[in-house]
Amino acid sequence: MPKKITVFTTSSCAYCVMVKRYLGSKGRDYEEINLDEHPERQAEALKISGALTVPVTVVTKQDNTQEVVIGYNLTKLAPAVA
Amino acid sequence: MKPDTLPKHQVVMVGAGPAALSAAIYTTREDLETLLFEKSVIGGLAAVTDKIDNYPGFPDGIEGLTLSEKLHKQAERFGAVVELGEVTKIHDEGEYKRLETSSGEMLARAVLVATGSDYKKLGIPGEMEYYARGVHYCATCDGAFYRAKKLVVVGGGNSAVQESLFLTRFASHIDLLVRSSIRASEVLQHELAVAVKAGKISVHLQTTTDEIVGENNKVSKVLGTDVASGKKVEFPVDGVFIFIGLMPNSDCLRNSGIELDPIGFVITDLHLQTSMKGVFAAGDIRSGATMQIASAVGEGSTAALNIRRYLEGKLEPQLISKPVATAVTRS
Repeated sequence: MPKKITVFTTSSCAYCVMVKRYLGSKGRDYEEINLDEHPERQAEALKISGALTVPVTVVTKQDNTQEVVIGYNLTKLAPAVA
Repeated sequence: MKPDTLPKHQVVMVGAGPAALSAAIYTTREDLETLLFEKSVIGGLAAVTDKIDNYPGFPDGIEGLTLSEKLHKQAERFGAVVELGEVTKIHDEGEYKRLETSSGEMLARAVLVATGSDYKKLGIPGEMEYYARGVHYCATCDGAFYRAKKLVVVGGGNSAVQESLFLTRFASHIDLLVRSSIRASEVLQHELAVAVKAGKISVHLQTTTDEIVGENNKVSKVLGTDVASGKKVEFPVDGVFIFIGLMPNSDCLRNSGIELDPIGFVITDLHLQTSMKGVFAAGDIRSGATMQIASAVGEGSTAALNIRRYLEGKLEPQLISKPVATAVTRS
């Protein structure tokens, strides 16, 4: 079980909806940072992911290591939040 | 696991775009237990489209994401279940089809393939290298990263023009590179003309896109060719969005025995049944589809009615003896 999950999103992003839906289906709590509402945090998303895209899911593990999943990619997201 | 111990479903749908969701509304209302698998976005490409103006019933247009969520809710209301996962292979075992899925193997009496299509890649230098770091295929996802930046959009069909118009919300200027001529609908062309007049978009017809070049890990320019003069052209940019047509999502059907056309779209008969009895196809994945949401919805409901007839053993003989592949283009 991850210690914390943060998802960077935008309002019109369908893939972001899917990440949130998946996390919800697995009973995982997460913090959402909507970059349309908080454009000042775009640089943070870019720094973490190295990508100009959303969704970006940052999974902090119990040992405080982080795993970053770019896009809606179940192959990577599912084990990351298991 | 032995086939007789596998979980059994009446209808499994591969994909959860407009075609499958519409079909699911019909099958569930016929009391047919229906399970859908979606490996990407519920709503398919419709969900990542900014605004849909040509779907009947919405006089002011509707956001693609909103339409998709409404379709999903409607299907769920009648009992359809959407599982987030994928079907990787379909085997014909007579009365039942055996499906390999991300949740394990299962059996289905009837299957609807509605996997849709995805945006084509240009296949030019720099495209993959800068993917998601300046090269994009989803304006509604990534457009917000380009506030007050310069963009190139590649393509001349409905998607390219629609998404260019959406991106004017963010970008300072857009160069639209069109290999031949604009093929978008008249309404979109009119809106494009307004954006051009306002100085937001410049259209470059008969201009190929040859290379995406970057500096310091960021896209810096796009190189192309003016076909008429043969001269090389250069566009300094911060990002590139590519909408040059569609390719079929038919990987899970390869080597299944289901007949595909030379491009990879699924061939069906007039009942929308594929060459594998009991497996139907609808929407963008079907050879000959018009690649419109309204058409996908119609095909989905048609397929559902034919699935019901098939399950009742009442599907009439095919009206044609051999499925016919139809060349298809889409903007």
